[in-house]
Amino acid sequence: MRRRAGLMAGTAAVTVLTGALGACAPSKKAAESGSGGGAELRIATTTDVVNFNPLIGNSRTDYWLTNLMYPHLLTVGNDGSKRPSLATKWGYTNPTTGFYEIRGDMKWSDGTPLTASDVAYTLNAVKKDKPSGTLYGQLANFSSAKAVSPTRVELKLSKPDATVIPEVGFWGNVVPEHVFGKAGSVAKFANNANWVSAGPFRLTKVAKGQSYTLERVTPYPFAPGGRPTVSRIVYKVYPDVNTEILALKNGDVDAIANALPPAQVQPLKKAAGITVEEVPGLGYAHLAYNMDKKPLDNVKVRQALSHAVDYDAIRKVVLQGQAVSTGSSPIMPVLKQFHDPSLQEYTFDPAMARKLLQDAGYTADGSGKFPLSFRMIYSLQDPVTAQWATLVRDDAAKAGITIKPQGLERNTYLAKTDAGDYDIYAGNFAIMDDPATNMTLTYLPKGIINYSHVDASDLSTLVTKAQATTDVNEQKKLVQAAAKLVHDQVYDNVMYTQNLYVAHRSNWTGFVVKPSELLSIVDPQSLANVKSSS
Amino acid sequence: MTSLIESTAGTADAADVADRPAAAKATWDAFRRNPLGILAMVLLALLIVVALVAPLLASYPRGHGTAILRPPSAAHWFGTDNLGRDVFAEVVYGTRSSMLVAAGATALAIVIGVTVAVCSAYFRWVDGVMGVLVDLFLSLPVLPLMILVAALVGPSLQTIVLVLAFFSWPEVSRVVRSQALAVVRLPYVDAARLATGSPLWIIRKHLLPAVAPVIAVSVVLTASRAVLSAAGLAFLGLGDPNSWSWGRILFEAQQSGAMQEAWWTTLFPSLAILALVVAATLLSIAYNDARDPRTRKD
Repeated sequence: MRRRAGLMAGTAAVTVLTGALGACAPSKKAAESGSGGGAELRIATTTDVVNFNPLIGNSRTDYWLTNLMYPHLLTVGNDGSKRPSLATKWGYTNPTTGFYEIRGDMKWSDGTPLTASDVAYTLNAVKKDKPSGTLYGQLANFSSAKAVSPTRVELKLSKPDATVIPEVGFWGNVVPEHVFGKAGSVAKFANNANWVSAGPFRLTKVAKGQSYTLERVTPYPFAPGGRPTVSRIVYKVYPDVNTEILALKNGDVDAIANALPPAQVQPLKKAAGITVEEVPGLGYAHLAYNMDKKPLDNVKVRQALSHAVDYDAIRKVVLQGQAVSTGSSPIMPVLKQFHDPSLQEYTFDPAMARKLLQDAGYTADGSGKFPLSFRMIYSLQDPVTAQWATLVRDDAAKAGITIKPQGLERNTYLAKTDAGDYDIYAGNFAIMDDPATNMTLTYLPKGIINYSHVDASDLSTLVTKAQATTDVNEQKKLVQAAAKLVHDQVYDNVMYTQNLYVAHRSNWTGFVVKPSELLSIVDPQSLANVKSSS
Repeated sequence: MTSLIESTAGTADAADVADRPAAAKATWDAFRRNPLGILAMVLLALLIVVALVAPLLASYPRGHGTAILRPPSAAHWFGTDNLGRDVFAEVVYGTRSSMLVAAGATALAIVIGVTVAVCSAYFRWVDGVMGVLVDLFLSLPVLPLMILVAALVGPSLQTIVLVLAFFSWPEVSRVVRSQALAVVRLPYVDAARLATGSPLWIIRKHLLPAVAPVIAVSVVLTASRAVLSAAGLAFLGLGDPNSWSWGRILFEAQQSGAMQEAWWTTLFPSLAILALVVAATLLSIAYNDARDPRTRKD
């Protein structure tokens, strides 16, 4: 989950350093014809790969590249529901035993069959070696996994937890036991050469700061006829999104993996030869008020802050209307199965904010300012948050509250987040696909992304119960009750779900669009099916 | 010069005072014959005036507007940015904070640099220690270190001023010291030593006036370098998010991904930076030429 927080934070620190090299990397080279299956697809990204080991990767480019080699058990629909991928069936045989049935027709690129042993090995190794990726965070109640047949793996849990099977299935990459098993700890294995892939592509060439070349792997069951439609994928590194857009317009690349800045969506939609695809958002942006810091432990102060943000303006101006309100609830409308439409967003009402502060015992001075000053941290590599941070400051000033935005380089931002060194945390999560899982991480006292530092027994009880129940209707009631508490008590100020846009050259078709920037049009199943018409 | 030979501090002072207006006039006469120098001075003065009267020229750009990324027009001379704010207002208020950073960082760098320089020149034992320290500082990779410090401490106006001053004083010190070293060896300084036991008095009355022209040039050059570095840091996002600066306008344009669509968001702050740096450089060259009898041809 830490990785989720990091992933969405963006990319530019590495970008700045790699920029100079990246800028001179691309050379104009027309894509080969796709009809014969020999085409090359060139994709722009803004960061280098930091880790080739998918179990510890933590940048977007890491995720995009390693996903093309190491399959996930499950994928996700636009509404957050889990769909088959490597696994064809999944579930629980009893409250502390889960299972996955996996396909029997996948192979690693060296010819070794991909079996349930690889799945069991991956989960047990991650539990044992504790790599710092998302998967380890999902395994809190996982004890062990065992391959009971070549296509079935069973998971033993230490206590009932309905979130393990869907979340581990979605977030975890399966790695080859015969390669990773020889390397010792999976937390330390660099995996930076001689890659073995289960498809649709295999990394073959790395030119740091410039490009990453992946060659087609067959058979790949999710491609037409088991053969990915393009022979090669080349990820090219560019300094920033401005140069990526320029490269796309010039035909130096065929697609941009990064989401477009909101202000660039309309101009690119009008540009000749460019197609812009809408990627449904599956995450949210939020302001977390650090309840360890007085007076943010006072609900009236938090409610006053919630009334001092012009959410509509942020969505309209910064996001160009490409975002939807969540009703100040952590369960976004996109999660149709769980969303509670009765929760209404906090209105932008400085007068109400002032009244709440007066009720809380604060008196404004002659200039209308309350003696309240909050330091709000955000990542400089997250351009959208960086833009609305100043609006939040200006809106709060209208209610007499001083907010001091502190934009930080990503590593400093993460360190300060870890240390709780902030009054207000501004950021976003790329994928919040499952309310019960997300709430255990965001609202339980020791939750890894509990940025509000909330420790409320009524909320904890609801979340813990929701996590343990496998009855969907019961779980829905519990998470909705929890969301209402979060809304009313402002344990988290959730602002919007952003719908993203990505661009590619119009001569490429067949992209499969999946939610979030992590999957979007660069998900393995999408890239195994793209075609070039020229 | 008879009065100097008589070796009384008072008469030395008198000679100094008597010589100074003549030298200053000669310098000014030469300076004003140099059109580039005058142009640079006018440009700098204009920027200072803009910084001072910013509230009369534009209202402070805050919040958001409805006209997003509009090109320059009568309503918005320099166009609008990605949040619909007036770029002209941003450049005007950017001038203010750029000047403030330049003034703050330069003042600090000059005070530290000159103090170290004159002490090193006058007290030989100090020179050994400070010489090594200055060499060490001059050999450091300044930009990466500035980025590191600004990133770790967190961006604010004070941080930027302190960081820039911290990395600028050694250069000032090196330039001023070499000039001061030549001066302390001159006979009139030896004479002053006989007249008083106070090194402070000699430094204040003889050494500092003698190196004043070098300090003046250092002030201008350090200020222009400070503006460039501050813009660089702000462009990397390490500027003060609570005040407008030219670098911040560029940073926000880059962040919004609008650089190539909305050329006006980058052109005008860049021109402002260019104007200040070119003006400062030309001014210092013109002043240097004017005060040097060999180049002023009088």
